This record gives sequence, structure tokens and C-alpha cells, in this order.
Amino acid sequence: MTRASIRERTAVAHAAAHEATEREPYHRPWLGALLVAGVAAVLGAAMAGMPREHAPLPLIARYALEVAIPRWKLTEPVNEIVYGTRGFDTFGETFLLLAAVVSVVVITRPREPRRGYFGEAAAGAREQQQDDPDVGSDAAEQEARSAERREQGEQERGGREPAETPDATPLGTPAPETAEAMTVVVRNGIRVVLPILAVAGLYLVTWGYSPGGGFPGGAVILGVLLLVYAGYGRRKISKVIRPGLIEPLELAGAGLIIMTEFLGLVFKGSFSANWLPLAPMLTPLSGGVAQLFSAAELIEVGTGLTIVVFALLGMTHDWAHDDRGEPRGGRPKR
Amino acid sequence: MILGNYLATAALFCIGLYVLLTRRNLIKIVMGLSLMEASTYLFMVSLAYRAGSTAPVLASPPAGTTARQLAHGNVADPVLQNFCLTAVVIGVAVTAVFLSVVVRIAQHYRTLDADKVRAMRG
Repeated sequence: MTRASIRERTAVAHAAAHEATEREPYHRPWLGALLVAGVAAVLGAAMAGMPREHAPLPLIARYALEVAIPRWKLTEPVNEIVYGTRGFDTFGETFLLLAAVVSVVVITRPREPRRGYFGEAAAGAREQQQDDPDVGSDAAEQEARSAERREQGEQERGGREPAETPDATPLGTPAPETAEAMTVVVRNGIRVVLPILAVAGLYLVTWGYSPGGGFPGGAVILGVLLLVYAGYGRRKISKVIRPGLIEPLELAGAGLIIMTEFLGLVFKGSFSANWLPLAPMLTPLSGGVAQLFSAAELIEVGTGLTIVVFALLGMTHDWAHDDRGEPRGGRPKR
Repeated sequence: MILGNYLATAALFCIGLYVLLTRRNLIKIVMGLSLMEASTYLFMVSLAYRAGSTAPVLASPPAGTTARQLAHGNVADPVLQNFCLTAVVIGVAVTAVFLSVVVRIAQHYRTLDADKVRAMRG
């Protein structure tokens, strides 16, 4: 085979791979449009019959508004509903969240190291060679692997150490950007915004009569952590964002929620009943058990969303060669 | 006219459903699901709206009313706001589950085309 023909073949393979990635996979658009039109008709008919802006409030909403001050000393009915009247509902949703977090952790965890099974690799060597021969790697894979090693913080053998910030990279260095932090402008902007954002998130929870409580507060805390991650790089938060710390915290939050709700059953004879003394209105402790629930929810939501996001960000590539789907360009198909 | 909001909700839901039914790119399917999810948020907030009402906050009622009067008066529906508040957080976590499954599929099959992922087709 001449060199020209090899080059030609490579070009054809690249064109095919390009086409495969660019092609927009569609599936029966006309049937889809027909079904969606049917759903739209049903939804439109249903929407026409929904209560409009002049309808009276539902009884449950009126009830929550009426009991918020006398029974809970809370001036924020939304909070009173989340952690008080419909506390059991929130309790269930918390464990829906926990289930989602656990699923993400299970799906994204790295391949377990093989330990304690002697002779496993040697016994499977023949089948391994048959089913999954080591065919080496092409240029694209090598590039992706070295990028991943950098991302994982491993030293590249023989490569240069990436600069910590773009400001430290000498001018004229060819792309791509390898620094893990952002420029001094972004970092200083984050330095200014961060305390404000963190305080706003905690304020939402501490002053229980401000709308929301633990759910939006937890989301704000995630925003704070993501800002540090994006601006300063993963090394700066690796001491705080590690599974050994935030996963026990998450479970502690869940335990606190269970305890808060269960003690209502112990002291007051009803699950999720208020068993704490009620502080005066418009103070951080007003709302009794609602405020404790809200604080526990801050831990649960804040750590849960953090685990989910960083588990996704830290997903390493699985380099196993079991290509039963589309083979990548250049790799021989079995 | 809150009916416009309701119809926008239905339209958003239908766009998401159309994406879900016709696209075969797994990322776009997840985007369609997120769109359907977002349409329910808009629906719940629209359903909570009442003409000329105040926010369901009893801390500083409008001049001339007490908190007790406000609780019996014209306020937006706090229960639906509660649903929306918790649904957003659950939605983020569930989207993360979808995305982690998609990443694993992409790593395993080297494709995002759902039609090519047919190991379970027997």
C-alpha cells in the first residue's frame, strides 16, 4: 500500500467520522408531530378549564395563611408550608433528592481497583486477548488522555507543568489554554462577589421569615462553591470539596431532618409536629421546628447538589475498548 | 390575562415533548426533559397568581391592613410557590442523574445517538 493511498483512506475515514458526529439523528418527525399535536389539544382544553386569576384561593392555601402566625409565629406562609403544614411532603422530597444524589454517586464512581482476587488477570488473559485485544491508541485518544491526566492533577511525563493562572503563562504561548484558574480580573471580581453571595444564602435560612429557607439557601451555597471552582481552579477547593467530608455532612443533614420530624412523634404524638418552643415573630428562631428543618435542609441541599455537580465534573473517562457501538476512527472493528 | 401564561406553559411542554419524541441525540433528549420540567414551574407559578393580589408575606402588610386581615385577603397562593421551590432543587438533581447516565453511555458506546445504543434490544 502506498503512502498516498493510506493518506486517502485516512481522509475518507475522517470525513466519515465527521459526518457521523455532525448528522442530526431524527426519529419519525411526522409521527412525533402528530402525537405532540394531540397532547397540545388535550393540554389546551385542560388549560381553558383551569382556575383563573379571579378564582378564590384553595382551602389548603387559605388554611396555611391563617395558621402561619397563630400556630407557628411565622410571617412567611411559604416557609410555613414547606417546613410546617406540608412538612411530611418536604420530608419525602428530601429523600427523593438523596436518592438522586446516591444514584449519581453510584453511576459516576470510578472503576474499583481489583484487590484480593489472586490470579484473576492471569486466568482471564486468553479471553481478554480474544474479546478485547490491546490495539494501542490513536492520536486523538493520546491527546484526550494527556488532557485528562492534567485535569486529574497528574504530572505529565516529559511535559511542561501547566501554569496555575493565565497571568503566569508567557505571552505568545500557543493555545490551548492549560491554566486551571482564571485571569486576575475574574479572580478579583469573584473575591468581591463571593462574601455577598455567601451571606445572602445564609441570610435566607437564618431569618426564617425571608422567603425560602434551606432549599434556595443550599442552591446559593452551591453557587458560591462553583464560583471558587471556576475562578481559582480545583486545587483551591480540594480540601473542602472531597467525598470524605461532604458525603458524611450530607448524611448528617438527612439524619437531622429525620430526627427533627421524628421527635414530633415522640413529644407531640404526631410526625413533623412542632416540639420546640416558639420564639417571638421576626427573630431567627421564630417558627420552632420549621427553622430547624430549614437549617437541616440547607445542609442536605447544599451538600447534595455539590456532590452531584462535582461527581459529574470529576467523571473520568472509561478507556475500555468494548466498542459494540460506533467504532472510533482508525480503530479496527471486530 | 393569565390564560396566556397557561397556553405558554402548554406550548413549552409540547416543544419539550417533541424534542423527546423525535431527536435521537441523548443530550437533546435531556434538554427536552428539562424544558418539560421548566414548563411545570411556569405553570405552578402562573396558577398561584391572583389579580391585584400581594405576595404571601405577612411581615409588613400594606398600609391600613393587619397581618390577620391580609391572611384572609387577596394574596397569591403560597402552596404552589412551595411546590415550585422544592421542584427546582429536585429537578437539578434528577437532571444530574440523566446526564451522568448519558456520559456513561457516551463513554461505553462512543456515541450519543440513542438509535445506536441497542445492546438491550435483544
